[in-house]
Amino acid sequence: MTDSTVTRRDVLKGGSAAAIALISQMSFPDFVFPDEAADEELVPFLNMPRSRPNLLDWETLDSWLTPQDQVFNVAHYNEPEIDPESYQLEIAGMVERPRTFALDDIKALPEQDQLMTLECSGNGASKGFIGGIYNSRWTGTPLAPILKECGIQPGAKEVVFFGVDQQEEAVRKVTVEVPFGRSMSVEDAMGLNTLLAYQRNGESIEQRNGAPLRLIVPGWYGIANVKWLRRIEVRNRRYMGRFMGRDYVTLRGERQGDEVVFVESSVSRMNLKSIVARVTREPTVNGRVPLKAYGAVWGDGTEIDRVEVRLDDGSWQPAKLDDEPQAKFCWRFFSIDLGTVEPGEHTVVSRATDASGRVQPTAEDDEIALKKTYWEAYQQWPREIEVEA
Amino acid sequence: MMHALPFRPILSTLIAIAAFFTCARFCVSQDGDSNRKHPTDTSTAASPIGPTITGVITYEADPKRRWRYSRYYVNAKGQGELAEAVVALRGSGLKGLDAHREAAVSVIDQQDFRFVPETIAVRAGDRVKFTNNDPGTHNVFSNTPLHSFDVTLAFGDEVEETFPRAGGTSRPIVLGCRLHGNMQAWIYVFDHPYFALTTKDGRFRFEGVPPGNYRLEVVHPAGSLRSSRKIVLQSDKDQKFNVSLSPDDRRTR
Repeated sequence: MTDSTVTRRDVLKGGSAAAIALISQMSFPDFVFPDEAADEELVPFLNMPRSRPNLLDWETLDSWLTPQDQVFNVAHYNEPEIDPESYQLEIAGMVERPRTFALDDIKALPEQDQLMTLECSGNGASKGFIGGIYNSRWTGTPLAPILKECGIQPGAKEVVFFGVDQQEEAVRKVTVEVPFGRSMSVEDAMGLNTLLAYQRNGESIEQRNGAPLRLIVPGWYGIANVKWLRRIEVRNRRYMGRFMGRDYVTLRGERQGDEVVFVESSVSRMNLKSIVARVTREPTVNGRVPLKAYGAVWGDGTEIDRVEVRLDDGSWQPAKLDDEPQAKFCWRFFSIDLGTVEPGEHTVVSRATDASGRVQPTAEDDEIALKKTYWEAYQQWPREIEVEA
Repeated sequence: MMHALPFRPILSTLIAIAAFFTCARFCVSQDGDSNRKHPTDTSTAASPIGPTITGVITYEADPKRRWRYSRYYVNAKGQGELAEAVVALRGSGLKGLDAHREAAVSVIDQQDFRFVPETIAVRAGDRVKFTNNDPGTHNVFSNTPLHSFDVTLAFGDEVEETFPRAGGTSRPIVLGCRLHGNMQAWIYVFDHPYFALTTKDGRFRFEGVPPGNYRLEVVHPAGSLRSSRKIVLQSDKDQKFNVSLSPDDRRTR
């Protein structure tokens, strides 16, 4: 499939730069999964709503870098249309030297690419929203050097990212106009390879995805990747806007001895997750149907150890992880030959394990079963199929 | 353009129109999910006078110009029958026919982060009830100049909107959700009764069509497909018009 002088080791050592070099040297077939035969026919999933544009269509997944028409967008306030010529980004708050940048000023700073799979933390909350994920090569300038140049003052605790999008919010008994906002610690803002991005896959970011400038936080859910950036403010107190303290807050029961203690935490890092993207079949042989499954696995950048797939009540079988393309904060594709099955209904499910030993839970495991909010739905996702004779 | 009619055919036509007003019904689809019952054909009811027009809409795939979502609409195991295509006549003399019919109400629901059904075809003056059965907030809006509106619906909310102006096949009401960019739907509004939404078998049927020269138009919004052809309908002859669409019929608008 590939003819490249960039090896897998280069990618793992070199991170984004090597991966980008690899991608540029590859010619992608219609389907990047290896060993997919020309006569393989899609077996559609049962009980699933239709896919449509502006959402990833798993069953026709055919590109490691997601084409724009497969990219989701979610907005909580308005979707501002910003004139790039008059756009300004403020760096303010607890900094020695506040700055205001025009878009050209940002583009004049050192350019950097960041490969990243971005998932909505609401992805998987509904069977109608499991395509809220896409993989991209973001281009922009790193944030840390800008903050360093502005000089973060002693006592600063958080960096708050405000968007141009805003609306009235009722906060207890008070109604006020507020901008969209999300925050992170100063340590995270400086240390997570955060990027101020203006391009996606070589094209200017589209208006619905945050043009002209958005934040990219590798390994964090989409909500943290603030669109339509207006102001980056360093503060000495915790920011408790709606999308930090009220929504995108996971309520989960945690077993502490004999007790279950419910704890709320703000959505941040992406969780280990895998999904079977599609199942294919070949012509029936001796009354049985050959099946194969293909899928994707991703997380917060922790290396993936393995993906296993189970057919019906069978044992977990190892799937083959694509060696290339691969990048730290990006999904990897996998495939598996499921052998032959009898015609009828079957279930196929994948399970990922990362290098730290973390295992993707089932919906019945405490980690998911005791979660009372819908964000961070990273449970195993069984796929139901009906195989015709 | 319709032909000029001498006296006796004019009387026959008036009788036919009167019969149509008393007999015509309008049936609107409720569900477009490929795993559920498909929209029912929205053909006009039988009229004893005037030809019946039927046909089958099919889609011929091209592996080099793949339609990513064709699996929901095209019967790949059959003859390529195309579901959820809007088929309609266009021509002078049709506007206002059956104008005094009772307005119908269609329902578009929001389920699983999609509008269901995805495509409907209605008469000018009909109403559409928008409901939200998703456990979350959605929004329904249209920026179409023909009819603009914007309403946010929490789970369980519903709202009715009347669509008084017809845009035919060329100017549908395009629906979206401001919160979730993947949600899409289309409402086609007509000022005459000769339109239909094809079902799984790709079929359409118009009954009691006044004879004349028309264009037979076919659009498939989800596939961005459009086709139009001239047809001539004679007064006493039922006719069949099959239309085969392909990637050549893709239109960006």
